[in-house]
Amino acid sequence: MLHQRTAALALGLAVGTPMAAIAQDAPLTVAMHYTQEQAAPLLACLDAYDADGVTATYQQISYRDYLQTVLTGRLGGQSPDIYNVYSIWAAQMVDNGVLDTPPDTVSEFVSETYSAGTVDAVTIDGTAWGVPTEISAYMLVSNMALLREAGYESPPTTWDGLREVAEAVTTRNDQGRIETAGFAFADSSSGAGFVHPFYALLYSEGARPYADDFSEANLDTPEAETALGQMAGLVQDGITDLSVDAYDFPAGGIGMMIMANWLESEIRAGFGDSFEDDVVVSQIPAGEDWRTLQYAFFMGVDSASDRKEEAWELVRYLNAPRDGGPSCIGEMLAGLGALTANTADNAAMDAPDAFTAPYLAALEEDRAISQPNVMQAAEIEGMMAQTFERALAGDAEPGPALETLDGKVEDILFEFY
Amino acid sequence: MRPRAPVGDDGPAAGGAAPWVFLAPLLIFAFVFFVLPLGFSVWLSFTRWNPLGTPSWVGLRQFEYLLTRDDAFWRTILNTFVFAFGFVAIGVPLALVLAFAFSRAKGKAIWRQVYYLPQLTNIVAIAYLWQFVLDDRDGLINRGLAAIGLRGPDWLTDPTMAMISVVLVMIWYDAGKNMLIFSAALEAVDQEIYDAATLDGAGAWRTLRSVTLPIIRPAFTFATITSFITGMGFFSLILAMTGGGPRGATEVTALYTYRMAFEDLRMGRASAGALILFVIIGLLSLLQFRALRERAR
Amino acid sequence: MTVSDPVVAGETAEIAANRRLLSGGTLRRQAGGVLKYVLLTLGAGLMILPFADMFIGALRGPADVYANPPRYLPAEPQWGVYARVFAELPMGRWFANSVIVTFLITAAQVATSVTAGYALAKYEFRGRAAIFRLVVGAQMFPFFLFIIPIFFILRFVPLMGGNDIAGQGGSGLLGTYAALCLPFLVTWYGVFLMRQFFLAIPDDLMEAARLDGANEYRIFRSIMLPLVKPAIATLTLFSFVYHWNEFIWTMTVTRSAPELQTLPVGIYLLSGAFESLDQKSLQQAALAVSILPVIVVFLALQRLFVASDFASGVK
Repeated sequence: MLHQRTAALALGLAVGTPMAAIAQDAPLTVAMHYTQEQAAPLLACLDAYDADGVTATYQQISYRDYLQTVLTGRLGGQSPDIYNVYSIWAAQMVDNGVLDTPPDTVSEFVSETYSAGTVDAVTIDGTAWGVPTEISAYMLVSNMALLREAGYESPPTTWDGLREVAEAVTTRNDQGRIETAGFAFADSSSGAGFVHPFYALLYSEGARPYADDFSEANLDTPEAETALGQMAGLVQDGITDLSVDAYDFPAGGIGMMIMANWLESEIRAGFGDSFEDDVVVSQIPAGEDWRTLQYAFFMGVDSASDRKEEAWELVRYLNAPRDGGPSCIGEMLAGLGALTANTADNAAMDAPDAFTAPYLAALEEDRAISQPNVMQAAEIEGMMAQTFERALAGDAEPGPALETLDGKVEDILFEFY
Repeated sequence: MRPRAPVGDDGPAAGGAAPWVFLAPLLIFAFVFFVLPLGFSVWLSFTRWNPLGTPSWVGLRQFEYLLTRDDAFWRTILNTFVFAFGFVAIGVPLALVLAFAFSRAKGKAIWRQVYYLPQLTNIVAIAYLWQFVLDDRDGLINRGLAAIGLRGPDWLTDPTMAMISVVLVMIWYDAGKNMLIFSAALEAVDQEIYDAATLDGAGAWRTLRSVTLPIIRPAFTFATITSFITGMGFFSLILAMTGGGPRGATEVTALYTYRMAFEDLRMGRASAGALILFVIIGLLSLLQFRALRERAR
Repeated sequence: MTVSDPVVAGETAEIAANRRLLSGGTLRRQAGGVLKYVLLTLGAGLMILPFADMFIGALRGPADVYANPPRYLPAEPQWGVYARVFAELPMGRWFANSVIVTFLITAAQVATSVTAGYALAKYEFRGRAAIFRLVVGAQMFPFFLFIIPIFFILRFVPLMGGNDIAGQGGSGLLGTYAALCLPFLVTWYGVFLMRQFFLAIPDDLMEAARLDGANEYRIFRSIMLPLVKPAIATLTLFSFVYHWNEFIWTMTVTRSAPELQTLPVGIYLLSGAFESLDQKSLQQAALAVSILPVIVVFLALQRLFVASDFASGVK
């Protein structure tokens, strides 16, 4: 039997069986970064989907590798039909013609169903390139058990307050290693753990990272230096260090972090019954004029798909409300504790829990500003993350480091704008 | 086709078409997967190409950018040297010592198997295994050090330590391979030579210096040069273990160009970077080869 | 370049007796011997430590990882994690792909190395020196240099995978097993190794067979090939280990073809999904499952691989 199989394989090898290309009648592929478990409600919808013989299947690509996988796959002519695109990847995908322009029916659906701010987040050069799905925003998340122990009854609302509370919460063991961290940055491979809080602080300073037309970067401004200086100060003054990781928050060893709402389910798992009492979400600690960052994912269709029309139909179906209930995507996002800007879904679903409500409020009060959809955003934010981490570690002063960064970012902008 | 060599003649025979039949796969491969890609690569390095679009000829601009403007590129070259040098300078002698120790040890087969274990493990798993072991706060090593009251180093979050960590893990991974090469060379040394030396009254140290080392010198040269080439171009361990971090401290040139190509879609610049690295490797390998040959004389 | 005598004789009884006499030595030497074993044992412990850490880590449950500080030894070992590995991850597919790809590549490498090495060692023909220089020289070219160009060469193969005659429009050979195997069909080192082995075999054998009227291919198959079996075993081990663990190339061409991913690639790409704390034990269990089979196979077959076979290739 083994021999037969080997022979068949060798034959396949010899003629170079084009696995991807025999896919004429294959199901439409929807590629998202959610695990099968997270996407269970969506998977049920996809399994049940059958529009005149067109069926659908799910492909998981991990978040960390999504853009690279999509681009490499695209280079190789092997692409899924439907993407779930993080908005900062979009500029590059649009520029390279990866995304299909939505048909009018879909465009109308988007403008009718989603709030204007969110439509902006998926708009590049005047075109909304798909249907917005998950929205994320950043807020201060606190472990009140630790804060109360240190003598604080509510989370801080200013940066000085945050420093004070964090310092009081931090404990070290005999070797000087942090046991309980008052504040922690998230150590994610994309560097978002540094870049996203930076955006929130920069926006709170009333500044923007780029000129409106992306002709220049504003990273060498005093506001940027203040924002980075605030972050770096926490490490430089020994209040926290880079060996602690905000992703350890669920284990109870972190006092505060500036984090997105999507970590909710994991925090819940870690805290169990004490979640309601001990986890509090509050404003970005930057005084009354605080602002924060929001970013969006959206579903788009590959311009090389051989069934674009059918694919758009599926996208619409997955995001449209079902018999008064939420859409398939809405149901999945609700299960994840994620936010959606789909007004029909928000109307159809229960009121948000105490954890989610402050995030939603930030979106509704227009305090959450979109992440810039700049060309080569992933490359630029990688450079930002490295610069910020160097400043945090004390390898560089915020001011000069930002000046160098600004020059490098403008080199890239110069190529495209 | 040359006539067949006369029967009874010394040396290899012509064999008619046979050698070409035997060599055909190699020659086809050499063209398609060696000559062609090299040519393509050189051509690409003179272009700017985002492969979703069409390439445009930019002459020497990519080289100019990398060599004169891109500080990060030079930093990765330096990191590459540190990684390869550390790996060779510690790893090769260590493998030799191990091979030597095993050659006279009881149960040498078992020792060898244990030290060869990492070679049988895929590099991704190795990277993750060590990530767990070296975790700053919860890793086995720092927990152990804390238990005896010591503060362990930040193995993977401190830039200097991270480089030391990846070098050590690389040595841990590869020691078994070179050990096997040295073991083989040592086994091939005729026992009688040792015995003769011993009978002549040579001490252990003298036997080592004047009998063993000269005999295994070819293996030593081979192991040093192949390890060096491996070390200069190796990045899968680093990709999985530190991703080049923290703050670029372990980003080696091969990883840097790989990312440039497949994350930032800068195929031209990435090809230029890879070629520069290759030229450096080539020159250094030749120098090493010369030096090791000289000393052999 | 010489090759070890295939029949390295065991020491004679007389010499052995001498050695015993001379080495039955001083206290210092004995102390040194003890120290050696202590050091070797410590080293062996270091070799095994990360594996042990993995087995322990795999058994931790949420109660252990969410404790502050997290517990090292699991309070209640979660043996069910191994069932979860197979239920939640496509282990079977990754494993099958690893076996298929490694098997094909190893077979091809052995075949091409044996034939080419034989031709280079045993025939005199115009161009032999040049080809041999190519074989030696090509070993100096690290693989990273070829990733980009070979990726696009496979991508633009005409008439494959939906491509037109100019190589446009489809995906070429990407997304096929061919893409995983083709760039590795020849190993320069293997050719070099086999040539060294064949050089050691006296030409008289060939001449005698020719006199008996055997043709060249028959000589190769029936006379020469059996003589280099140990070398083939060595090369098989090297190739197998290398390609079982190969990661960068396979990941590059299978990123968007999950059905072709091998164990290392699958584990690497999934680590993005393992960031959550309570998934760490699942990750460690998956690592264990990816590691064990090779070790078991190696230990079962290790008698085939005699250390001295490695010698001849490097002299």
